[in-house]
Amino acid sequence: MKPAKSPRHTLRGLLILLFWVGIWQAASMLVGKPVLFASPLDTLRALLRLLPTGDYWAAVLGSLERIALGFLLALLLGLTLGVAAFRFPWLRELLAPLLTMMKTVPVASFIILILVWFGSRHLAVIVALLIVFPQIYFAALSGLGSASPELLEMARVFRVGKGKRAWQIYRPALFPYLITACGSALGMSWKAGIAAEVIGTPSRSIGEQMYLAKIYMDTAELFAWTLSVILLSMLFEKAVLWLLRRVGKTWN
Amino acid sequence: MELILEHISLRFGTHVLFRDYSLRLEDGGLYGLTAPSGRGKTTLLRIMMGLQKPDAGSLRPEGLRFSAIFQTDRLLPGRNAAEQLLFVRGSRKDREAALQFLAGLLPEESLAQPVEELSGGMQRRAAIARALWAQSDVLLLDEPFTGLDPDTLRLTMDFILDHRQGRTLLLSTHQKELLQAYPFEWLSLPEL
Repeated sequence: MKPAKSPRHTLRGLLILLFWVGIWQAASMLVGKPVLFASPLDTLRALLRLLPTGDYWAAVLGSLERIALGFLLALLLGLTLGVAAFRFPWLRELLAPLLTMMKTVPVASFIILILVWFGSRHLAVIVALLIVFPQIYFAALSGLGSASPELLEMARVFRVGKGKRAWQIYRPALFPYLITACGSALGMSWKAGIAAEVIGTPSRSIGEQMYLAKIYMDTAELFAWTLSVILLSMLFEKAVLWLLRRVGKTWN
Repeated sequence: MELILEHISLRFGTHVLFRDYSLRLEDGGLYGLTAPSGRGKTTLLRIMMGLQKPDAGSLRPEGLRFSAIFQTDRLLPGRNAAEQLLFVRGSRKDREAALQFLAGLLPEESLAQPVEELSGGMQRRAAIARALWAQSDVLLLDEPFTGLDPDTLRLTMDFILDHRQGRTLLLSTHQKELLQAYPFEWLSLPEL
C-alpha cells in the first residue's frame, strides 16, 4: 500500500500547480487576446458553462467508451500475442515487421487510412488500439524474458508443470513490466484517440467538440475541453492501474 | 536407483574440466564429493541434472528424477517456506503436510513469512526441505551447509538423513571435516 501523502507534500504540489497557473495567466495577459490565448479564469468559466450540459457528458462518455475499448482490446491482444511470441520465436519473427511499422508510421497516416476504410465511428477505438498494442506486446516479451533463469532451471530440475511455472515464475516477472507499459500507454491512448476524433469528428466525441470550438474560434472552450481530457486521462490511468494492482494482489 | 556416468568429457575453451571421467552411484548410497573450488563439483552435478551437456559421455539410466540444492537457494520470492515445497510437489490441499514437514527444520513463527524475510540460514534450510519434499530418485546437494553454524549443520544433516527415504544422495562440499561423523563414501575428482 502506498504511504499517505504528508500535508507538506500536498502543499508543495498545490504551490507547483499555482506556479504554472500563474505562468499561464501571465502568458495570456502578455498575448492580450482571449480569442487566441484564453486565461485560466476564462477556461474555468467555459468549463463551468459546459459541465451542466448534456452534450458535454455525451461527448465525455462517448470518447471514454471508445478509448477505453481500444485500450482494453490492445491489452488483450498485446498480452495474448506477446505471450505467444515469447513461446514461439517464429511468431516473434513473423510479427517483427508489423510491429516495427506500427511503431514508426505516423499516427496521422493511420488516422487517414482508417477514416478511408472504416469511417469515423470506430476511429478512436482502432487508433487507441494501434498505439497501445505495441507497448503491451513488447512489455509482455520483456517481462517474460526477465523471468529468473535460476528459478526456471530449478523448476526444470524438479519437473514442475507448465501451469505452475507460468503462474509462479513468469507471472510475477511479467507484472511490473505490464504496469509500467500500461502507465505510459494509457496517456498515449488518450492523446492519439482525441487527435483521431478531431480529424474524424465522430458524433458524441470530445474531438468533435474541440473541432467545433476551433471553428468558432472559442479558445476558452478549446482549453476547457483540453483540461477535461487531461483530467479524464489522469483519472482513467489511476483507475486502470489501481485495478491492475488490485488484480495482481488478489492473484498473489 | 543406480546412477552411472560414463566417459564424461567437458572443456570450456582450453580449460579441460573432465576427461573420460566415469562414476557409479549405487542405489540408496550416501556419497560425498570433495574437491578444491573450481575443480568442477558443481558442473558435475549440473551434468547429472541435465543442465550442462558434456562434450562426450552419457548418463544412465535416462529419466531419473532429481532433487537438488543449488549453490544459491533459488527460492520463489514473496512466498513462504510451505509454498516453496508446494511448488515442487502437491497443491494447496497439501499445505498442512508441508508445514508439518518443515516443523523439524524451521521455527514455527518463521513459517508464515515470505522467504526473503528469513535469515540466510533459514532460507538455506527451506531450500533443503524443498529438495527432500520433492519426489525424486536422487538427491544432489551442492554445498548445502553454506551459511549454517556447526549446530545447525548437525541438525540439518540429521534432518536430511531422516527424510531421504532411501534415495541416493550425493553431496558436494569443501567442508569434509565437518561431516566426518556421517557414513559418507567420499569421492573426489581426478587431477588433470
